[in-house]
Amino acid sequence: MENENFEQRTDMTRLSQAIEQIKAAIHHVVVGQHDTIELLIAGILADGHLLIEGVPGVAKTLTAKLIAQSIDAKFSRIQFTPDLMPSDVLGTSIFNPKTIEFEFKRGPIFGNIILIDEINRAPAKTQSALFEVMEERQVTADGQTYKMEEPFIVIATQNPVEHEGTYRLPEAQLDRFLFKVEVKYPSFEDEIAIITQQHQHKTAEQITEIHAVLSADDIIAARKQVREFYVEPKLIEFVAKIIHETRNSKSLFLGGSPRASLAIINSAKALAAMKGRDFVTPEDIIWVAPAVLRHRIMLTPDKEMEGVTPDEVVAQIIQKIEIPR
Amino acid sequence: MRLRIAFLLLILACCFCDLYATPTSQPKKPAVKAAPEKPKKKVVPAKVRLDSSSVTVHRLDQQVLDSLAADEDFKYYTKDYKKEETLWDKFWRWFWDMVGKLFPNVSAGSASIIKYILIGVAVICAVFLIIKLASSDLSNIFLRTPKEAALPYSESLENIHEISFDEEIEAALAARNFKLAVRLLYLASLKQLSDAGLIHWELGKTNSAYLEELGDTDRRQTFGVLTRQFEYIWYGNFPVDATSFNNIQTLFADFKKLLA
Repeated sequence: MENENFEQRTDMTRLSQAIEQIKAAIHHVVVGQHDTIELLIAGILADGHLLIEGVPGVAKTLTAKLIAQSIDAKFSRIQFTPDLMPSDVLGTSIFNPKTIEFEFKRGPIFGNIILIDEINRAPAKTQSALFEVMEERQVTADGQTYKMEEPFIVIATQNPVEHEGTYRLPEAQLDRFLFKVEVKYPSFEDEIAIITQQHQHKTAEQITEIHAVLSADDIIAARKQVREFYVEPKLIEFVAKIIHETRNSKSLFLGGSPRASLAIINSAKALAAMKGRDFVTPEDIIWVAPAVLRHRIMLTPDKEMEGVTPDEVVAQIIQKIEIPR
Repeated sequence: MRLRIAFLLLILACCFCDLYATPTSQPKKPAVKAAPEKPKKKVVPAKVRLDSSSVTVHRLDQQVLDSLAADEDFKYYTKDYKKEETLWDKFWRWFWDMVGKLFPNVSAGSASIIKYILIGVAVICAVFLIIKLASSDLSNIFLRTPKEAALPYSESLENIHEISFDEEIEAALAARNFKLAVRLLYLASLKQLSDAGLIHWELGKTNSAYLEELGDTDRRQTFGVLTRQFEYIWYGNFPVDATSFNNIQTLFADFKKLLA
């Protein structure tokens, strides 16, 4: 708890410990990338799917794998390729000659933590197969609906540089991701640490040393706890103002959806949990807003040509709105 | 990719055009195989006979020819019809008249130089205009832009320099609204920091931003404690009674003394 003078309303001991353990486990291997890791953990606590974007070689897949490794849950990895079919992801019905019946063979999407590597390599048809499962957490095949097991987290990676042979994710698909986490290049000091670590052959050993620190049940319990956190009505209004401003901004062609408003509130609660609070502050909202909005908003063509980024527009919008206090 | 396909199609189209346009030296092959030729009969040349009939040369009457030549209706090519002057032609005639007036003593050679200079200036103007248009916001012309809709909420911009804090705190305490009283105490401390020139007050700044502005000082440490008190009570909805309020009020009073 940040303040000892206030009596604890919520017992957050287990949650705080779990968060610290995950962070420590990932930082054991990944050097730097503090904001990325914070956002990924916040995303898991907020019950959202995560899109990790970064140039090749910045440990996107490694970070996602480590997150999955630190949680004791069923993990699947799907490498998206241009020839991948929806049935390769969701599953397909196969005729069983013994029973003389068609049986649904579940695809790799049936798991708890799904790592979709290079999501934009698959064509729109395969990407669309994820619509139902990501939003409704179920797969419908041959008139039968199969519910996903909780927790169900899709962690997808994509490369923003290569365009040849890639298919841009449609807006509806992007909106299903809670965060778009941008993995930046490491700082100079971090770069040295990465090289040294690799040079001493530590990385491979460290990866195998990572053990699960949270169970699937722990994640479910933590999410339930986070959902109950207090949000001051003025802060809900603050979030609504931000989203309305994105819809009225001259720099934006497409503003935030109501799903974006909910995503900001949920992820701000998760961030508060990570800071040991059971309530949200304006700073939590401001911190998560770019990650929630950057893939949901669309810049006007002239702003795009000027080289303005969605993060800059979000920052300008927030700057204009009065902080509720 | 599209450009490549278009280029390929263009080349193919050119080839086809060339194929049809160029007369071929080889005779066209018949579509259907011709039937085997019958053996030709031996042709015996006929004896050439001379035409001995008399030829009468008709001559046209010169008068008739002259009258037809004089007829306006038959002067198809030589008819010097006067083309009707369009506005565009008028403009250019006027333009070159003006040029003639501006430079009355120029020779024919110099006139052509002036003409090219003027064309050059016109091209530069056109390029400048295109660049200006490209840099301006053309989205209004071609694309839908978000309308400046009226915001569905009222923006009550609170200026801490216009609040009478003592009166407001008294009113809040009279109503036993301790939560509001703590808020007012916090805003008052922000005003004190702003008046002392230690922070730059802005509506969009967060509490952390103000703490950063204070640097690494005792003031920052104390203000940090006050900030947490305010956040837990105002954003966290933690209950505050008269006793705890008195403790908090003392902390704010001490901070005020620290600034003095």
